[in-house]
Parts: sequence; C-alpha cells; structure tokens
Amino acid sequence: MTRLHADEITLSYGGPQAVIRDLTLKVPDGAVTAIIGPNGCGKSTLLRALGRLMAPQRGAVLLDGHTIHRQSTKEVARQLGLLPQQPTAPDAITVEELVRRGRYPHQSILQPLSREDRAAVERALEITGMTDLRRHPVDELSGGQRQRAWIAMALAQETPLLLLDEPTTYLDIAHQQEILSLLRRLNRTEGRTIVLVLHDVNAAAQVSDHVVAMRDGAIVAEGPPERVVTPEMMETVFGIACDIVYVPETDRLVSVPRSSAALTAEPLPTPPIGRLRCDRLCCGYGQRCIVDQARLTIPAGRVTAIVGPNASGKSTLLRTFARLLKPMSGTALLDDRSVVTWSHRKFAQRVALLSQDAAVPDGVTVEDLVAVGRYPYQRWYRQWSHDDQQAVDEALAATGVEHLRWKPVDAISGGQRQRVWLAMALAQQTKVLLLDEPTTFLDIAHQVEMLDLVWNLNRREGRTIVMVMHDLSQACRYADHIVVMKDGQIVTTGTPAAVLTPALVRDVFGVESSVVDDPMTGRPLIIPEQAVTADAAVAERGGPPAAAAQRSMEWTEQSA
Amino acid sequence: MMARSTSPSPETTPPSVRFVQLGEVAFRVNTRVLSMIGVALVVLVALGAWALTLGSFRLSLQAVIDALTGAHAGDARFIVRDLRLPRVLTASFVGAALAMSGAIFQGLVRNPLVSPDIIGVNAGASFAAVFWIVTGQPSPLLPLIAFAGAVTTTAAIYLLSWRGNIAGPRLILVGIGVNAILTALTTGLVVRANIYEASRALHWTTGSVYAATWGDVRVMVVVLAVLAPVGVGLMWALRVIQVGDTTARSVGLPLERTRLALILVGCALSAGAVAVAGPIGFVALMVPHIARMIAGPMSGGVFIVTGVLGALLVLGADMVGQHALPVSVPVGVVTGAVGAPYFLFLLYRANTRV
Repeated sequence: MTRLHADEITLSYGGPQAVIRDLTLKVPDGAVTAIIGPNGCGKSTLLRALGRLMAPQRGAVLLDGHTIHRQSTKEVARQLGLLPQQPTAPDAITVEELVRRGRYPHQSILQPLSREDRAAVERALEITGMTDLRRHPVDELSGGQRQRAWIAMALAQETPLLLLDEPTTYLDIAHQQEILSLLRRLNRTEGRTIVLVLHDVNAAAQVSDHVVAMRDGAIVAEGPPERVVTPEMMETVFGIACDIVYVPETDRLVSVPRSSAALTAEPLPTPPIGRLRCDRLCCGYGQRCIVDQARLTIPAGRVTAIVGPNASGKSTLLRTFARLLKPMSGTALLDDRSVVTWSHRKFAQRVALLSQDAAVPDGVTVEDLVAVGRYPYQRWYRQWSHDDQQAVDEALAATGVEHLRWKPVDAISGGQRQRVWLAMALAQQTKVLLLDEPTTFLDIAHQVEMLDLVWNLNRREGRTIVMVMHDLSQACRYADHIVVMKDGQIVTTGTPAAVLTPALVRDVFGVESSVVDDPMTGRPLIIPEQAVTADAAVAERGGPPAAAAQRSMEWTEQSA
Repeated sequence: MMARSTSPSPETTPPSVRFVQLGEVAFRVNTRVLSMIGVALVVLVALGAWALTLGSFRLSLQAVIDALTGAHAGDARFIVRDLRLPRVLTASFVGAALAMSGAIFQGLVRNPLVSPDIIGVNAGASFAAVFWIVTGQPSPLLPLIAFAGAVTTTAAIYLLSWRGNIAGPRLILVGIGVNAILTALTTGLVVRANIYEASRALHWTTGSVYAATWGDVRVMVVVLAVLAPVGVGLMWALRVIQVGDTTARSVGLPLERTRLALILVGCALSAGAVAVAGPIGFVALMVPHIARMIAGPMSGGVFIVTGVLGALLVLGADMVGQHALPVSVPVGVVTGAVGAPYFLFLLYRANTRV
C-alpha cells in the first residue's frame, strides 16, 4: 500500500528543458526513504512536487489515490508536512510561536489554540528536545537548534507523512547524527513515513530503509541501502569510483570515494614565506569575542585543516587571518608581521581567501570574474597586463574551466561555479590560500574533485593551504596538520593520525565514531556514528513497534 | 535580488576584446562596446542637429550649420547660438550626468532599484532650492544652493548609514527615510508659499531645461569633464565590489574608501545636473538598465554608453515635451511619464523572480 505516489510526472521551471521527465515513485509507507543524487539531478524538485509546492506539467502526484493538486492546501497539510531547505523564520519569533504555526492546518480562523493543539506543540518540543528553549527567539539559536525548531514545527503538524529537504546541511557531525537519529526514532516509534533529500550518501545509507538514486531527472535505482549503495551504483549516479568499507563496530558499510590525486606524495621543502601565526588572539564580531586567547602556528607549505563543531570559531579565526576581522587583542601574523599592518595590496598578493558568501554579478563571464583576482596587481591606469592574462589562463587551466571561459557565471552549475571561485583565488598568485568550507553545496564527486585540486596546488607548488572543514574523514585524508577547535578555544593540533581519535571526537563533537583504514592511503579515517545523547535502543534497526504500526493503520483508515 | 538583464553576450565565442598598451598605461577595450559608443554618439549628434532646426522659427539644416559656423549673421544665428544650442547641450549633459550617477549608485549597493532620486539626493537639492525660492532669495544663486542641498543630504545619509562600514540595504533604507522627510518638508514649503513663488517652486521641482543658458552649459561641462573620467576609472573597482564585500576585501580593495569615492562622484554628478535643470525623474534609474541590456555588464565602456544614452533620453524627452505635444511641458514630466511605467515593470520582474 502506498499513500504517496508520483505517477509519471514531468516537472520544469518554465523553461523548455524539463528538470524531471516521466518519473514514477511509490513512497513506501512507514519507512524512511532517502533521495540521493548529484547536484542538479532534480531531487529537491521532486520533493517539492511530492509536497504539493509544484504542479507537474504532465502526470500527477497522488495522495491516497487522489490527485494532490486538486485537494485543498489544508487538507493536504493535515496529511503531509514539508520542511524546505534553509527555511527563513520571521524576525524575533520564538521557538514556541514557530512550532505553533505547525498547527495551522488543524485550526480555523479566529479559533483559539485548542487543547489538542497545545498537546501537539508540547509533544513536538519534547521530542526535539526544545522544551527548555521554547521562549528563545529562533534567530538567536545555533544552527543545530534552529534546525530542530523547524523539525518541531513540522512535527506539530502531526502528519503521517513528513518530507525534508537536506535537513542536515550546515550542521556539524554531532548535530547531523542527532537529527538523523531523531528522524529514525520518529519513524520507528510513531510509524511516520519519512522522505529525505540528502547529499551525504553514507548518512542516507545509515538512516533509510529505502534509497532512491537519481541522475539527470530520472530514477537510476531504488531499493534497500545495501543494494543501492554499491561501487557500481556510485559510479553511475555520481560518476565517481568508490570503495566500500566495512565498519565492524556498527556493522555498517561506508562508501569512501576514490581520489585521483597522489595522496601519498610528500610535501615540498618548507618555503621561506607563507607562514601564519597567532598569539593570544581574541577576535569576533562587534563586541562579542568568539575566539579566545588562541595561540597557533600554521606550518608553511602544508595543508592545514581546521575542524570543530558549529560555532566553535573556525571561520572567525580564518577570517581574522584573512584580515577581514580585526583582532580585539593579541596578534595574528603573516611572515612575522601583524596582518593589519600590511598594505591592502601587498597582503592580497600573499594571501587569498575562498569565502562562501560571494555574489554573482549579472552576465559577467567566467574570465571577467577570474580576472577580479588580479586586482592587487593592477592600477587604475594599468588595468591589464600580459602577466594578468597569463595568470588568468593558468588559473583557468589549473581548475579545468577553460572551456567555460566566455560563459556567464550565472549560467553554469554549482560545482563549476565553485571551481571558478577557486580559479579567482588562484589568479591572485598567493603563497597562502585560505578556504572556508570549500565543499559545502557540492555533491561527493565535486567535493573530491575540489579537494584533489587543492591538494595538487600544495604538493606541486608548495602553497600554504588552510581549510575550514566539515567532514572529518576528508580532513583525515587531505590534511598534513589538523587544528581542532571548540567554544573558541584551540583544543589540540597535530597530524591527523595523532589527533583524530574516537576519544577526541567524542569529547569535542559529542559523537561516537569508528576508525577504519583509508583504502587509498592506509591512514585512519574517522566515521561518525550516532550522537552520544541519542537513545541507542530506539535508533536500532528493526521493524516498527506494534503500536506504531497500528497507528499508521488508523491514519490510513481515517484518510481513506 | 538583482534583476537579471538579458545580456546578449555570446556564450562560447570570445567577446571582441583588444589589449591596448601605451607605456605604463595598459587596459583592455571591448570593441563591441566601443562601436556602440560611436553609434550612440552619432545618433546623439544627429538628434541634436534636428533639435536645432525645430521650433516656432523653423530652420533648414543648412541654415543651422551656417549659423553655427558663423557664416550667417542675423536672427538665425541668435536663435541657434543663444537659444537652442544651450538648451540642447544642457539637456544632453544633464541626461549624461544623471544616468552615470544612477549607474554608480546601482552598482555600489548591488541593487537595480536604486537611484539618486530614490535615496534622497535629489530631494535634498529640491528642498534647498524650494526653500530658496519661497523665501524670495536672489535666483542667480539657486543652482549653487541646490548643489549644496544635494551634497549635504548625501553626507547626512552617509553618516546615518555608517556603522563601522556601509551596508547596501542600510544605505537604501536610510536614503528612503531621508527622502520621505525632505519631500514632506518641500511640500510643506510649497503650500505655505504665495501663489507666484509656489508656482515657480513647483516648476523647478519638475525639472526643465527651457531657460538654459551658456552658464548652465559651462557648469555641466566642468561637472562632466571632472567626474566622468573619474567615474570610468572607478568602474574598475566597482566591478570588484559587485562580487561581494568579502571577496572585494580579500583581493585587496580598500572597500570603504572606494565606496566613499563612488558615493562622492555619484552624488556630485547628480547634484550638478539637478542644480542646473532641477530633479528630472527616472533617468538615473532607467538608463543604466537599458545600457546593461544592450551592452552587457557594467564596465568603464558601458559606463560611457550609459552616459550617452542618458543624453539621448533627456534630449529626446525635451524635444517631445517641447514640440510633439499640443502644449509644451517640462522635460521632467515626459521622463516621468515614461519612467514610472518602466519602474513598475522592473518591480514586477524582480517580484516574479523571488
């Protein structure tokens, strides 16, 4: 029996090119379904159509056999909750007010909050662990708490079907695990049907009963995770070779993408310039000090990864080294000179930053954008030179975007765009390259591609690389040196093998993890498991308890 | 929420870019934009020549040329040289200055719905000028007072927006607030004034070039000669600001200094135009969009295109207002009548994309 069913739907955003063509999907009831696929494959579009946010051009989405777009919004909202990617809350709204809005489909105009509504809100707050934060404004919460508040709102809606678009982006590994086990628990104890769009394949395999793999607007494979997440399937879906590694502690299979870089290459001899150091550094935004008394030396000519939970001050530290933030006290030094005393131009000739918040101007071509990186070498009367042309050509070649040179930046895909930003930083021809989470928004193949590029820049040219990273196993693989931060403090530094142990990951991130050997390098890889705080018993795999099954039956009867 | 302009730039073929070097001076020029400037200038000269022939005393093109070269003495010479030519030149220069000012402000705050008439620069000039008129002060000083009003208002907006740095949205909101205050005060002055002064004040705030003199032309020549080259130079930095504050700073752009320079140039261009012709509406808002649509993303060259198109628009609007309608109306009325619907169209497009 399938309550939610996409029947040969074709979806497009008005253009001649359909994003999804003749797709059929039967969402299994009472299961967790994960939709995976590369950037731009149409997974979010499919979820929006399933959630009645988008009407298909052809075909229909059926809820209990009726076309979903012919039913009233409220009627659908009683059956089906949808949490979009990065929702925005109205200013200054509290958690409780936000969660109450989830009751909207059950209320009518002017009707006060009923006892039922109150109970549902309480329950949603409790399940998500937000009861203590109920009077807190949503915009003051941390990323993980905010995501939980939104999930609570979707829960208060008390729908048997719950659709979520990338509920774990922006979250650190602990919060990711927390959200995943929460969803798992909702499914197991209450029998809710959950559909998730995820870009992390391992998270999908960990949480779901049913995996739907998409590519180019079509379903390539679907079935239980162990059947879908195979090396062959990863190659067809994402276009990247993977090794599947068995984790004995938790009886899990984890896919580890292969890198095309020579990961065992030794670094070049230490260059004389490109050294970053800070001493008793305090920095932050406005009056608020985020990084406190940091003392750190970043080895020149090596790859350094800064890791830590959300809000631990990683990006703040990086931005202070990039002199976007002024130190409140203490010093940040580039080659033994305080970063703030360097001239704008000289500093930009030595340090480049790849940030996350770059804007794309209208109609500007890739070459024009990369040429912006040449700014520190130019004057208003000398706006271009042969050196500029050569640097831009080299940067385009190094990042493999030469063929896109004359395309407008707003017309290329996300993965390509990220490479263009990197090319811009490369055109700056600096000894030091700072990267702030360079792989967010990228699918696994593009992530590996990006990190391989950065790796080669270091091993071939000896540039000093500092990356703020999210994914611990990637940090293990690519970094020579790891900096672990928590609550604005530097917890420890050293080589990945020495620093990243399950004990440290538990202390810093609050997450259990297991260590497996990297099939490519033989070095250890850290694989996060469920959050320490989560109730392990309910997160266990197994059939839904009888009560939940019965509840799910009742829902079916009510709606039929 | 940048409205995406339908830039016609080819996707796979290289644009026609040439590298020019003269000793230390070196830059790239887009020959397509260059030829566009040429074409627009030719059209402008042709339109100007046509404008010189029009009027209650019709002249042939030959008569106009004779009058200009001085081969002919008499009425025609007086009409062309002292009445029509200053008006044509003033309209063109005012249009160019307003359009360039709009391009600078739109690029600066990365918002296509901004122009000096929306963020209060022109309202400042109007308030000062109307105050001057209704209090019966000597009129030769009027342009100077209007200029001072615009500059003072811009300074106030800049200082009110300053919070350690200038954020685009904040600048716009402060500007809109200041604009509202000044507009209300101006209206207050007008309704309290006697009928003769009120009518003069109202006429001034509509924007017109009908009594343009060689003095006006001289003011505009100075304004453009100084500020237009600076504006072209600053476009190099503006292009970097467009990529976002963080990126701009990380490639070594002194962000706040550059922003201040851009605001000063944009304000002075607008203030000069308003001082001479009054606040002619919508030119600053509209022309940069047209320029981007036909010539591509903003650059030094496209900035010049913007100026020439602005000149074309105001000159054309003045000709329509003067000759094509049953009664002659000030140029500000014509640009407003075309500009307001275009503004609504822009808003509509920006909305559909959100």
